[in-house]
Amino acid sequence: MIEFQNVTKRYPESGEALSDVSFRIERGELAFLTGHSGAGKSTLLRLIPAFERPSRGDIILDGVHVPKLNNRQIPHLRRKLGLIFQDYRLLNDRSVFENVALPLHITGHHPHDVGRRVRAALDKVGLLKKEKRLPMALSGGEQQRVGIARAIVHKPQLILADEPTGNLDAELSEEIMRMFQDFNAVGVTVLIASHDQHLVHRFSQRTLRLEHGRLAGDA
Amino acid sequence: MAQRRQNAPRQSLFRQPFAQGRTLKERLQAYGSLQVYSLKASFSRIWETPIASSLTILVVAIALALPASFSALIDNARQPLEALDTTSQISLFLKPELSNEAARKLTERLKKNPRLFGAILMTKEDGLKELTAFSGFQDALAALTSNPLPAVIILRPVATDATSVTQLLNELRTLPESDRVQFDDEWLKKLRALLAITERCVVAFSLLLGFGVLFIVGNTIRLELQNRREEIVVSKILGATNGFIRRPFIHSGFWYAFLGALLALIVADLLILGVKGPADELAALYGSPYRLAFLSLSSTAVLLGAAILLGIVGAWIVVARFLREIDPA
Repeated sequence: MIEFQNVTKRYPESGEALSDVSFRIERGELAFLTGHSGAGKSTLLRLIPAFERPSRGDIILDGVHVPKLNNRQIPHLRRKLGLIFQDYRLLNDRSVFENVALPLHITGHHPHDVGRRVRAALDKVGLLKKEKRLPMALSGGEQQRVGIARAIVHKPQLILADEPTGNLDAELSEEIMRMFQDFNAVGVTVLIASHDQHLVHRFSQRTLRLEHGRLAGDA
Repeated sequence: MAQRRQNAPRQSLFRQPFAQGRTLKERLQAYGSLQVYSLKASFSRIWETPIASSLTILVVAIALALPASFSALIDNARQPLEALDTTSQISLFLKPELSNEAARKLTERLKKNPRLFGAILMTKEDGLKELTAFSGFQDALAALTSNPLPAVIILRPVATDATSVTQLLNELRTLPESDRVQFDDEWLKKLRALLAITERCVVAFSLLLGFGVLFIVGNTIRLELQNRREEIVVSKILGATNGFIRRPFIHSGFWYAFLGALLALIVADLLILGVKGPADELAALYGSPYRLAFLSLSSTAVLLGAAILLGIVGAWIVVARFLREIDPA
């Protein structure tokens, strides 16, 4: 599903963020990406939806060479992904419903379809009753669940989460992780970046460890 | 890493949507949904900021009302001038002692002249009748015991350039029946030159004010973009195309320009309505059928079209710049 081939990402200001990284994640896998802060986890995740292009190497998503996509093709790649961020990246002047509906509006779904799908996604994260609220009126855990609902509303085959529990306490973190396990159980490929060693250990899944931009472990 | 994948899928999930994958009907439906979503979004944006939006529309209207009013003025001035154009004619006044019979003979002779389009004789009696009918001198004319008017032959020259006209006039002057020859187109030329200058000025002003509209709309859209920066960045992250982001702002530009132009047209026509009463009265006093006209359909269409174009172009430029700015999002 995801294949990195000798990927290097170099920034003119700060040098190499990723050095010669190669790995492969199969369809239906759930994997963690760990490492201290600044090890290159976020950089690696940013390369997959083509927020940035690698300096060297190739990234292949299900047969598509991501660095070779042109600017017109990139939006269509992103629509096939479910992205989750540490700071949720919700629109604070829109209701929970509108936030979750955004990916469907972007792809031009029919309004009837939108309502049905948004409620199905909100139901999965247990926020069906709060669709009219503004994100600011929700707790951190709830906001991240809105972010997850938005990431799954269009039924992506691949979910990328960058420190999804970074702002949450242990209990909420585990709840969120269990949600990812549920998605994985129905065949969705999931890649989660987290620096929380305890949490990662408890789930005993495949773990890719980055150190100073190099892949230091794969277990 | 070059090893073959064991359970490689038959079809790529990511390759699919790039080109085909969706039927034409599905794509048209998606396009329709996107248009409706964008129209709603742009309207609600204008609706959510009523003061800022109406200020923009008002400024657009003021910028457009000026050229609209001027062009109405010119349209109105051109109408009587075009009527005058066909009357670029020579008046050959005949000696008062000349009989109507002799006058008719001369007219027939002049009609055969190839340098003239025709000749129309106005006898003393015809002149008196016309004067009585069209001016306000009925009572004074009725008091006259004899007809003071000379007979006149109205001629229309074929060539209207200065040399041929001068030559023709000189020939006419030497006719024994001729008393006085008059060709007045100098003032018409001056008037036309004046109108041309005014027209040029209006075009220049209109261009200037058109740029004004471009900048007003552009600036308003720029502020909207700044306010919605986070929304745009998130949308791009979620896979929005530049077209998706651009569309509602283009629609906003359209609305600002269209509503502004509509308001400008109303203002211009109200101005004409205000002047129309006294102007028509004046024309009636001169016995002229001329009436002040509202903005013509073509002027209205040109103004609306130009305004909409400016609004859309203004919005497009600003959005394109913004999208380049945030591109590595």
